[in-house]
Amino acid sequence: MSQVRVPTPLRGYVAGQTEVEVTSANVAGALQELVKRYPALRPHLFGEAGELRPYINLFVNDQDVRSLHGEQTPLTDGDRLMILPSIAGGAMPPGLRGVDHNALRANQGSIIALLLIAFVLDAPGLAAGVGAVMLLGTLAGKIGFLPVYRSLRRLRLAAPDILQDNPEPHRFAQGLGAVVLLGGAAAFVAGAPALGWGLVWLVIGLASLNLFGGFCAGCAVYYWFNRLGLPGFSQAPPPGAFPGRRPQPPVE
Amino acid sequence: MTLHISEVHLRAIEAYAEAHYPEEGAGLILGDEVGERREAREILPLPNRREAGERGRRYEIDPLETLAAEDQADALGLKIIGVFHSHPDHPAAPSQTDLHFAVPWYSYLITSVRSGRAHESRAWRLDESEAGMQEEELEVRPGSGRLTGAPDRSVASGAQQEEG
Repeated sequence: MSQVRVPTPLRGYVAGQTEVEVTSANVAGALQELVKRYPALRPHLFGEAGELRPYINLFVNDQDVRSLHGEQTPLTDGDRLMILPSIAGGAMPPGLRGVDHNALRANQGSIIALLLIAFVLDAPGLAAGVGAVMLLGTLAGKIGFLPVYRSLRRLRLAAPDILQDNPEPHRFAQGLGAVVLLGGAAAFVAGAPALGWGLVWLVIGLASLNLFGGFCAGCAVYYWFNRLGLPGFSQAPPPGAFPGRRPQPPVE
Repeated sequence: MTLHISEVHLRAIEAYAEAHYPEEGAGLILGDEVGERREAREILPLPNRREAGERGRRYEIDPLETLAAEDQADALGLKIIGVFHSHPDHPAAPSQTDLHFAVPWYSYLITSVRSGRAHESRAWRLDESEAGMQEEELEVRPGSGRLTGAPDRSVASGAQQEEG
């Protein structure tokens, strides 16, 4: 004789009992015995195909049957089979995380400002340095000018603006900008300053579109690659967001 | 169906949600039910056992903690009537994940936390078809309540918010 412990939400289907005695020799048999005696319980334990519902955990004494022999785990006299509900859930679909868009804005603002200074001072080395910071940031999985944002936070000049988003496309966009700037640097070395400044202005333009227009062109490229199934581009756009557009804050 | 909860308990749940931001904090609600009236009597905060990188968007309570909570509820002459958890920077409404794991009969109290501050709490219950969750009335009454002293191992987990 074994006992089946019934959780509170299912007690209404077993005449209010906390524990029910069963004679079966294993877990599967005990569950079948239970639903045969209390047919109203069946849809709450099993799905239409006979599989256990996702919110059901089974423990024999204090061990999860998944670490024993699953539903074939034997029951001997005095054993307690516990039906325990899964208490689980979570706010977001897979992939999305809280991304601080003000940290991204600080990054874009730093890139635009430094590249404009580089152009005005005719300092291609500074533009190449911006590209190097962006590249190093991307390789480290961070935004390049994060220290600028952290300083602004310390001075209370910036507050987080956290949106449910994928961080990967933003890192990809930064890496793309870095490659364009380093391409510009190569153009300067090769003696083609017009091409070099053209590439710098391309980055200024796209960073401005992102900062002032809320459209991240590099992210859009990332999502197009995702749509094409390219390896390494695993994240799809947040629900309801046009690829590359800044996601909207949650609406109540 | 109406879930009645004391202001003290609700504030405690919201403070717990804020303390866990940007992670999700969760626990169980012990209480009793008479007819259509469900009354929260005790709040039992429990550790979120999801891995550190996932606790910002997922929660899971160890089933053995749930078993211990049922024993505790039995000893107090109460039942586990529901679950509370927080949605960091997300509305106080059930997600697809919440629906997937929703247990029939329980009340699910969800607290939305915006930039570290509790914004709103709403209660939900799985509907009979189990295809969706229906909002249930949440009635907050001024009055006393106390927190059950449960060990909480997840408070100091300190996950970092993604910055870019």
